[in-house]
Amino acid sequence: MSVRSELVDAAVHEDVFDRSYPDLEARQLEAARELFAERREQIPVLRRRAAESGVDEIRSLDDLVPLLFAHTSYKSYPASFVEQGRWDRLLQWMQTLSTQTVTDVDVEGVTDVDDWMDRLRAAGHMVLATSGSSGKVSFLNHTRGDSANKQRHYRRMSGWPYVKADNSRVVFLTSPSKGPNSAIEAAVNSAAVWARPGEAHFLTDEPLRLADISASAALNKRMAEGLATPGEIAVARVQAQVRAERMSAALDDFVEKLLAHRHEPIVVSALWAQHMAIIDRAKALGVEDGGFHPDSLVSAGGGLKGVSLPDDYKERVDRFYGKVIRNNAYGMTEMAQTCPKCQCGRYHRPPGLIWLLLDRDGERLLTADDGEDGVVEGRFAFLDLLYEGRWGGLISGDKVTIDFKDCPCGRAGPTILDTISRYAQAGESDHIGCAGTIDAYIRGAVAP
Amino acid sequence: MNAILPPLAGPARVRHVIKGQVIEGDSLEYGREPNRFTTPVLDVGALVWPRPTPTPAADVPVDEIIDVLVATGDVLKRDASGVLAQAMERSVAAGFYPRDLVETSFAHLGHMFSRASMEFMIAQEIGGKDLLDGWREVTAPSGRSARVRAFPCRLLHVIAGNSPGVAANTVIRGALTKGAHLLKLPSNELFSAPAILAALSEAAPGHPVARSFSAAYWRGGDEAVEGLLFRPQYFDKIVAWGGESTIKGALKYVGPGLELVAFDPKTSISLIGREAFASEAALEAAAEAGAHDATIMNQEACTASRFQFIEGSIEQIDRYCERLQAKLGQARRSASAEPRPIARSLRDEIDGLRDLEDYYRVWGGYEGRGLVIRSDEAVDFYPEGKVVNVVAVERLEDALRHVNVATQTVGVYPPQRKAALRDLLASAGAQRIVSLGAATPEVGLPHDGFYPLHRFVRWVNDEG
Repeated sequence: MSVRSELVDAAVHEDVFDRSYPDLEARQLEAARELFAERREQIPVLRRRAAESGVDEIRSLDDLVPLLFAHTSYKSYPASFVEQGRWDRLLQWMQTLSTQTVTDVDVEGVTDVDDWMDRLRAAGHMVLATSGSSGKVSFLNHTRGDSANKQRHYRRMSGWPYVKADNSRVVFLTSPSKGPNSAIEAAVNSAAVWARPGEAHFLTDEPLRLADISASAALNKRMAEGLATPGEIAVARVQAQVRAERMSAALDDFVEKLLAHRHEPIVVSALWAQHMAIIDRAKALGVEDGGFHPDSLVSAGGGLKGVSLPDDYKERVDRFYGKVIRNNAYGMTEMAQTCPKCQCGRYHRPPGLIWLLLDRDGERLLTADDGEDGVVEGRFAFLDLLYEGRWGGLISGDKVTIDFKDCPCGRAGPTILDTISRYAQAGESDHIGCAGTIDAYIRGAVAP
Repeated sequence: MNAILPPLAGPARVRHVIKGQVIEGDSLEYGREPNRFTTPVLDVGALVWPRPTPTPAADVPVDEIIDVLVATGDVLKRDASGVLAQAMERSVAAGFYPRDLVETSFAHLGHMFSRASMEFMIAQEIGGKDLLDGWREVTAPSGRSARVRAFPCRLLHVIAGNSPGVAANTVIRGALTKGAHLLKLPSNELFSAPAILAALSEAAPGHPVARSFSAAYWRGGDEAVEGLLFRPQYFDKIVAWGGESTIKGALKYVGPGLELVAFDPKTSISLIGREAFASEAALEAAAEAGAHDATIMNQEACTASRFQFIEGSIEQIDRYCERLQAKLGQARRSASAEPRPIARSLRDEIDGLRDLEDYYRVWGGYEGRGLVIRSDEAVDFYPEGKVVNVVAVERLEDALRHVNVATQTVGVYPPQRKAALRDLLASAGAQRIVSLGAATPEVGLPHDGFYPLHRFVRWVNDEG
């Protein structure tokens, strides 16, 4: 068995974070070396990157730095491929980031991007899409095996270190139950590992459709081109309104079911804003704070972009659920293996995930010596050893602080502190220039 | 510029100017390495000119102001005190541009204070000096008599930092219109405005024009400062340059009595007709002009061309691309030959296209010597750092769908094609049509769709 699969498989052990892994760093490096040698032959973009940066072998973790992809790599296709239905061209692009052959997928008669994704999935390419706020979605390929391994990993991490996922509970998930998005995949995995048969409740069974997102992107483009009519914008607004009303009604039903089960150990997962909406409805129904079963698992997350919440939203959510288990994990669409949070509020590293802490500019690997007492702030990047379908090396926009010493919870190895934030984009401060686009204004004009 | 300079150790010291007085100090610290800088304490109360008193230069004849500005230009050219040279070194150290480009930009500053261009600006943008110096008598068709004056205002300028010329232009425009002016320094060009204002004070110490200007840094969007200053009690207009966040930040405060004059974000393009392939010489001329327009301030300027739409066969267009790429890295008056590596995010986008060879072709690497992408659809990302997207079109008119109110300059080759295109381009939103190669802006002509001087004043009438 290869070092890589050994490290990835370590997650099957219940005590994965309590075991000692002698020479873990050395073994991670060995696995990275092994993986790169294989992937470089398979993935054209990685091959090009390696050639340009002169890295032909991974001798140290520094060698991985120039080989990291950005999240934008997964949406670097021209939007016109989607707008004009050039599905074969989109496959050619996908090929440049995939290990397996995708160009032979039959795209004859494909009508829209969801249809295109269905064809890929039917052929075993479990492509995930992000519903990016820019309107342009990322496509991340992975294999059926990757999907299965992610779920296996999730079963071990979810609930850690408090409870084990054992398909014993009623589960409430505020996401659609179907759709090619990583948040939905996570919800589906949560249902798969926690729910007893027939007791996984999603907000809606209406599938998330990328075509809807593309349609709004296409409308923005037509606005920019001066072609969209006020009537088209009005229709888009009405559609958004109708959908919002449908979701609001679905949330009413959802909250009613959730409240009915609140005295037993349940699982609830939602974004902060959704939790706030749940609380509003519960309050309207006269439900007081704190009546949930203490063994319930409640997770909250999500950024607040474009959502305005009261300053004390976290406290309000805390009060409402009361003394329950608040599990959490650090992860992202591009990362298969999540990092769960321990009792001390720190995120732990699964053996199959290589953490790379970089400087702000993402160019230099930082070590324990770059901070004080082994606590270092930097940009988070990683190589996820799990993926078979694509390259798992990525640089994120997250600013994290890693403590390279052992965790106060007693477990060995580095941890990420609970202070994760985003690096500001270049130009977001007051570096002022007069050159730029007004896409954002145009989008703003369309948004209801 | 060969004065002896103090060593540039530690954080850069940013000067403030308060009503003509240069203020030194390093009480506050901003930025991160290597661009850390300090400023004096910000005395917000000193940054406003109380309403009941007219602005200091309100009654100074504009001819005298022109004399002061010409003298300021001479001070800048001589730079005997070394203030400008020091500002230039600070700008070099801040690293936004390579040294040669900073040097040419700073060397040009003094020449912007030209009498001929100031006379032209007033004639074009205001319609005569008499309107600045007093009340022009007019008679309406009803028979009513009236007097009209271009009256000085109090302006708060949030200036852009992608060229030191923006500060110089702001000072010239502000002085000619006799108002009171507070310049908010951008963090990417902290040194040119204080140096220009120091030169103004050196040329005319204590002069009402010098007392009409202040320049200070605070963190853009800092509500503790902006909430106090951005009020109609103190300022008539906010003149905001730049990005979305600047304009949005300013908009928060705009309301009755406080107007926004926005030099908002703009993109520029080129249209190249099939005439470029008529001869070797024509191709050479088009590529040279196209490269000039694409590299203005190393393509940081809003006038710099980013998308070039071109008529021709793929084989012809590829020849253009190849020549263009070879010329993008050359040194010009407004471009440096020193390569600056292309931003990582852009590189990731371009990497995605390199393997789609049937539809895209890429010339050049990421080291910053110029990169050209040929495609049949405009790319989705925003080209910067000497990156040009050459888009094949059947007819130049096909490019119109890429033109909108954010399209500032459209360069056309050959110039004879402009007449047939300009109304269509203007209708789609474009603000400036030039012959390819002439995208460098001129003063005294409209900018971003308006005459700046015209909007720097309040037009007041005395009727009957």
